[in-house]
Parts: sequence; C-alpha cells; structure tokens
Amino acid sequence: MPTIAIVILVLFSAALAGVLVARPAITASSAGKILAFGVLFFLPLFSLMAGMENEMERSKSAAFCLSCHIMEPYGKSLHIDDASYLAAAHYQNHRVPADEACYTCHTNYAMFGTFKAKLGGLRHLYVFYLKKMPQPEDIKLHEPFNNRECLHCHLGARSFEQGATHNADPATLPAIKGNTLSCISSGCHDVVHNVGRWGNVKFWDGRS
Amino acid sequence: MGPGDAMSRRLRISGVLVISGLLVEALCLVWSKPIAFVVLACIGGALISAGVLVFLYSLLPAVPDSTNSSETADDEH
Repeated sequence: MPTIAIVILVLFSAALAGVLVARPAITASSAGKILAFGVLFFLPLFSLMAGMENEMERSKSAAFCLSCHIMEPYGKSLHIDDASYLAAAHYQNHRVPADEACYTCHTNYAMFGTFKAKLGGLRHLYVFYLKKMPQPEDIKLHEPFNNRECLHCHLGARSFEQGATHNADPATLPAIKGNTLSCISSGCHDVVHNVGRWGNVKFWDGRS
Repeated sequence: MGPGDAMSRRLRISGVLVISGLLVEALCLVWSKPIAFVVLACIGGALISAGVLVFLYSLLPAVPDSTNSSETADDEH
C-alpha cells in the first residue's frame, strides 16, 4: 500500500475517533456500537499494521540506509567506475536491485534473517544517537560476511559453478560452499567498499 | 456516576489515546528518517495499543457498587 494511502487511512481513522470522543453517546445505538468497534479497534490496529509494514519495506531501501550521513561514502562507493570494486560492480550492473542495494547484500538469508537485520539496524540507531559515532572508514561488520549471502544468488549460476578460478583446485568450490573459504577476504573478491582507501578512483555518473 | 457515564469516559480516553497514536503514526510515515521507525513502533504502537485495550475494557459490564449490594442484603434479612 503506498505511503500516501496509509497516511489518508490514518487521518481518516483519527477523524472518526474524534467524532466518538466528541459524542460518545452515539454508541448507545447498535450502529454506534459497530462504529466504535471499527473506529477504536479494527481501524487503529489495521492502520498500525499497515504503517509498520510500510516502514519495514522502506527500511530496505538504499535511500533509507544512506539517510545517515556516516553512510554517505558507502553510497558513493557504489558509483566507483572500477569493476574490481565488488559493491559497485553489483550495483551498476543490477546484479542487486539498485534501490535495495544495501539490504540485498547485508541482510541474512537464514531463518529470521530479516529480523536479525532489523535488530542490527536498531543497534545502528543506538550508536548514532547515544554513542560516539565512528569514522566511516572505521565501520566494521558485526560478524564476518557469510558466503551464504553471496550464494543466495550465485549458487547454481554457470559463472560461479564453472568459473575457471573456482575450479582451478577441486577443493575450492566445496570450501566456498561450506563457508570455510570466504568470498571476500581470501584475496579473491576482497575489494568491496574500501572506504578511505580509494585513491584516485573515477566515478560513474549513472548515464554512460 | 452511572455505568453509562463510566463507559463514555472510557470511550473518550480510548479515543484520545487512539487519536494520539494515529497522529504519531502519520508523522512518522511522512518523516523519512530511521528514527521514525522506532518512534512509530514504540510511541505510536504503545498509544494505539493502550487505546484499543481501554476500548476493550470499556466493553466489560460495570461492577455493581459493593456497599449498596451489602445494604440491600441486610434489608432483606
């Protein structure tokens, strides 16, 4: 449901509740009782659920993540004009949805992964408002990046399964799939965002 | 105060809580900052939940005044 529709629903519910507050006597009739049930039970809970769902969806957007200025360099890294930058290559080639680029790679594809991602977001808020914020280049992952997040898309893909480097040693592919050989920290795809270590990189303007 | 008055009062309280929660929710929906999510869940959600609970409580039949009941029983004896 679009945000504007939910806002209209919420304001409509509030206006109806205002009628009941001003004239509670109308609940004396059967129609008034049904109205009270709708206005003070059904509509508020439905509006709350719709609002929460809307916020949960919005929290997946890259714009939401990048609305904290400390994340700006990470958003900028998606536009680096260099295919060796993993995040930029994924973003610019639409290997991840461009408007949910952060969430797609940084969520957890295990059971309760979305819930864990939201808890991680709450921790970010806690640090942002109540603790000393780190410099962007000092931000670290909560835990080592799990290959599961990469394999969610790449598992079974020809470029992954039959890639020359992945098959150079028969032990490599099983090690990647078993998360004993990390995709990003093994010297293979280890240039991800590299905030603070860009040097003289060029940036893609999104048009050419 | 009669049972009808008590119910009206509870409906008013419920309505005020629900309206407050809905207004908080409306503000959070147009306020596109990460903290809006927490405000919606913690403050808006709590106000709306409290309003709904007060509404459900208002549906319970009013308990008769115990003092009057005992006096009536004494009169019968």
